[in-house]
Amino acid sequence: MIEVEKLRRKYGDLTAVEDVSFSAQSGEIFGLLGPNGAGKTTTIGCISSLLAPTSGRVRVNGHDVVDDGIAARRSLGVVPQDVALYEDLSAKENLAYWGGAQGLRGSKLHERISAVLELTGLQDRAKEPVKRFSGGMKRRLNFACGIVHQPKVLLLDEPTVGVDPQSRVRLMELVREQVRGGTCVLYTTHYMEEAETLCDRIGIIDHGRIIAQGTLQELRAMVGERDLLRLTGVFEPEAVRVSLSRMDGVEVMHADEALLSLSVSDASHRLPAIFAALNSHGEVRGTTLTQPSLESLFIKLTGKELRE
Amino acid sequence: MRFLWISALKDLRRLAREPITVLTWLAIPTFLVIILTLVFGPRGAGPHGTLLIADQDGGTGGSLLTRSFSQGSLGKMLTVEKVAEAEGRRRMDRGEASALLIIPAGFTTGFLQSKPVTLALVRNPAQRIIPDIIEETLAMATESVSSPGNLMRRPTIELNPTIIPDKDEQPGGFAAILLPGALFMAIFFLAGALAADVWRERTSGSLRRIATTPASMGAFLGGKVLAAALVFAVIGAFGLLVAQSMMDLRVANFPLAILWIAASGCGLYLIIMPLQSLASSERVAALLTNFVTLPLVMLGGGFVPFEWMPRSLANIGRWTPNGWSVMQLRGILAGSLKPLTFAGIAVFLAAAWLINVRTIRRAAC
Repeated sequence: MIEVEKLRRKYGDLTAVEDVSFSAQSGEIFGLLGPNGAGKTTTIGCISSLLAPTSGRVRVNGHDVVDDGIAARRSLGVVPQDVALYEDLSAKENLAYWGGAQGLRGSKLHERISAVLELTGLQDRAKEPVKRFSGGMKRRLNFACGIVHQPKVLLLDEPTVGVDPQSRVRLMELVREQVRGGTCVLYTTHYMEEAETLCDRIGIIDHGRIIAQGTLQELRAMVGERDLLRLTGVFEPEAVRVSLSRMDGVEVMHADEALLSLSVSDASHRLPAIFAALNSHGEVRGTTLTQPSLESLFIKLTGKELRE
Repeated sequence: MRFLWISALKDLRRLAREPITVLTWLAIPTFLVIILTLVFGPRGAGPHGTLLIADQDGGTGGSLLTRSFSQGSLGKMLTVEKVAEAEGRRRMDRGEASALLIIPAGFTTGFLQSKPVTLALVRNPAQRIIPDIIEETLAMATESVSSPGNLMRRPTIELNPTIIPDKDEQPGGFAAILLPGALFMAIFFLAGALAADVWRERTSGSLRRIATTPASMGAFLGGKVLAAALVFAVIGAFGLLVAQSMMDLRVANFPLAILWIAASGCGLYLIIMPLQSLASSERVAALLTNFVTLPLVMLGGGFVPFEWMPRSLANIGRWTPNGWSVMQLRGILAGSLKPLTFAGIAVFLAAAWLINVRTIRRAAC
């Protein structure tokens, strides 16, 4: 359904996306996880044919987005990061407009408008101008406008940014419903929890490159069964590296003057020994211990937190 | 093609949800006509002023001269009042009249004996048109009585005569001179306001979103132009109707005039739109629009008709987009239609539309 091969996109001298390859199938949610500015929106822009790839190929439902753009866009539904709605118009009028833009007309259009209004729980407010809606309702309508034409491929670009927890859960449920109907979903986010709970497969993107991809289990296996220990304070990085490397079950992933990231087996039992080793090479002011997760994988691969 | 109508309907619906904006747009031509009516007379027949005459001669020559200002179309334009010189000067000081004509004692005798006589004309410096007309009329009157066989010497007028164009040569009178420029000023500003919607589409993300659908950007833009054309037509029709009722504006072909206002309004709209769609911020877009609009409105006969501009500026102004539109509208109002005019605007609209499709697509990405 979505095939991205060696995608590269440059803006002048800046390379926003480099050698990005992944694919997603019908009934699957592929998550693109990465911090802000990692290249997620550029990738979505190339898939939705907003941006022409500098090199590489992108196919949507078998159609090349450059050579056969209109056919590719017919299979595509996009839910942008912005709430791209007309606030003066009602929910129904917005859906009629975006449905019309996708080529729906007549009874089919009316049928679909009723269906998505019911799906998103907006049927009671269908005739109200969107400017009177809450942020969560706007997000749901934004989503509804992206699926009104029952696309085979759905691109969701950080759809839950700035959304309250309740609306977020509702939106994620809406996404799952689309997938149950056979839609292929590409979901970009910088919320690790969203990617973990929603996505069948995940690609981790940073500085325009996919640095890891696979199922959640596959990605967790890359971290191993070790815990992630993050220590803040004042350190002598080189001395710390030497000192900790002598300890069994401890791996230094990142070390600088203010932060240490360690991959530790059975960390709760090894903490006293680690503190003792650090005692002569710095001062620990804060400690965070986390179970193996995408976050720890991201830190392992990039040396920084996802939200940094 | 179908999306063109959907796009136009969307914009018209959004406009309809802003009744204050629509009412303001309708008010603009109404106010312009009211102001023009207040300045140039209630029926739009032309300017009106007061001529004070201090006739110190009291003879036949002075009476004839006084009567010449009260006859024909000049009589409708001028209220002539006889006053003593001192009172006349006082009233002129207070700005109560357009001019004071002083006919000296011995004017008739001197006139009959072909001796030089001097007429004094005091002009109100705050006015231009009426004092010009009075001065010109005076010059023509003295010319006509002094020419045949040099039987009489010409009276000498103290001021150098200034020749202004004969207003009667303009079909439709003052309304036909002033209204098209004023109307296109309103249309130009309106075009700027409508084009600014592209920026709103950009910031809301709807422009980007439409580019991800199979709908063509050409149809999207076509819809916007169609909606704008309808707005221009309504505002133009309203302005012309108000001018017809308040200023006796003569409109030879009303539907054609509306069609012209709508078509050339769309041309102005498409001129402004790239400034909006390619600007780096909303503020820059507004600045660029004003930077282009204001000089063009001034040059294009929006504030001052071409007839009252220096010739060189008027020549430039007539070839600005809005100035050209004004001139063509004047022609349509007077009943002289050039078919090439509509062919010209059709070609321009097609070219501008193509350019705008490219710029909007670029703005969307």
